Amino acid sequence: MDNDSTLLLLAMGPASAAGLYWMLYRYYRNTDKSHAFERETAITAQPVSGMQADVKVSEVRGTQATAISGNNVGDYRRRVKRV
Amino acid sequence: MTTKPPLPTGPGSPQDVPPAPGQFPIDPATLPGPIRDELQAPDPVAIDTASKELKDGLNHCPKCGSTEIRQRAGTDQLVCLFCRHQWTAARVEEEFGLGEGIGELKGTQVASGAKDISADAASLRTFKCSGCGAEVVVNTENAMTARCHWCRHVLGVNEQIDNGAVPDAVLPFHIQKDDAVARIRQFVGKRQMFALKAFKQEFAPENVLGVYLPYMVVDANASADVAGYGEVETRRYTRGEGKDQKTYYDADVYQVRRHVDFTVDDLTMESNAARGNLDTQANTNNVINAILPFDTKNAVKWNASYLMGYSSEKRDRDVEQLRPRLEDQLLSIARAQVQSAVRGYDRGVRWEQEHLDVHGTRWVAMYLPVWLYSYQQGGKGGMLHYIAVNGRTGKTMGSVPVQQWKLITAALTVGTIVEGLALWFIGR
Repeated sequence: MDNDSTLLLLAMGPASAAGLYWMLYRYYRNTDKSHAFERETAITAQPVSGMQADVKVSEVRGTQATAISGNNVGDYRRRVKRV
Repeated sequence: MTTKPPLPTGPGSPQDVPPAPGQFPIDPATLPGPIRDELQAPDPVAIDTASKELKDGLNHCPKCGSTEIRQRAGTDQLVCLFCRHQWTAARVEEEFGLGEGIGELKGTQVASGAKDISADAASLRTFKCSGCGAEVVVNTENAMTARCHWCRHVLGVNEQIDNGAVPDAVLPFHIQKDDAVARIRQFVGKRQMFALKAFKQEFAPENVLGVYLPYMVVDANASADVAGYGEVETRRYTRGEGKDQKTYYDADVYQVRRHVDFTVDDLTMESNAARGNLDTQANTNNVINAILPFDTKNAVKWNASYLMGYSSEKRDRDVEQLRPRLEDQLLSIARAQVQSAVRGYDRGVRWEQEHLDVHGTRWVAMYLPVWLYSYQQGGKGGMLHYIAVNGRTGKTMGSVPVQQWKLITAALTVGTIVEGLALWFIGR
């Protein structure tokens, strides 16, 4: 067994302890809950436009990242620069 | 292109998108039995009241003129305790045409009850009793009715005054006290194992209070533009042999722009500054926020008689003070709407810029019914923990203080077992 996977296995103990603590804390205290207004209010949207204008600007070769850096497509409550 | 988006700004914490109901980051099936049982115990059920017929009335009984008027428990009707007359009136939705024309909204329309609060407006108001002429004081901070101590007439604050205490509409309580108590019991019942000992000992859900909390209910007509970069995977391959094997990706980078026009009906926001502060480090107001939404379509015209027996909280925020919060929520809605229109970018999208045009808004002030149970945790870092029940739908959410040493011991025990298994596996 190589060093990497040994370290990974050793890290599993502390990681599961921290994960369980974090999950149960949230279950009791519900600090992550709020009104999900994005899906719980009546929203009527026109079809989204702008797909035609998408242009390829560059390429990424041989990256090990599984997603674009700073992927925030599902994190819609984090504000980005307002223009 | 490699620049990271700036840190989040603007009001409206918690910034986390709330998880879908019943979702856990760890699969409960993998956890020890007692913990799993707690997690999987049923939640208090929320009922749908949207179809209920609604009624309302005046402060004097229209038949006999008595002021002994109460809300008929569990309904939106008012009943005269003197002659048993029950009567009907209008829902604000139809009366003011609130559900209509949101797509054509232009500018800022503010209903009379949502107007700006005068700087010198006092909470204590003196009313002349029309029955005997005595002067009766009503503290509008927490009550909207008072009984004349001379002639026993009930006086209600019915005309709109400039201190923000009188809203446009009120949504009467449907969930009754017994029901709310049962829901709170059920909610706490499935959070016992790691709950603070003092909390469990002092737990008395009969002390729950019915409170009318002030909200602004906003209709908005807006457009939003977002811009950023998206990546599409073109190739996936592995290099190296055996343990050094690694996966690499090739991707095309696209510049992405999206535009969406949308209307929002009855977006509900806290209009009390203290209640609208959702900082989970300092308070547990987020659980009261989490019991939204209400069936605000069924709200009836303001009548102080609905508040008999309940306490109330005064609005202290004006439309302009709530506008940043509204814009923040509209941008969140726009970003959620465009999410389905960028599905093709399978490596995700990094939004870098966003723009919002608010074409029109309509603001209505409402009192919404909430059952509140509270527990003040003592000691360092102690805060007021709420358990809140939606007075219409029964949706229940709360914050149960934890016994830290118990929770840490449980986490360490599970961690030690996992670590033991890992060591055994390595040593094989």
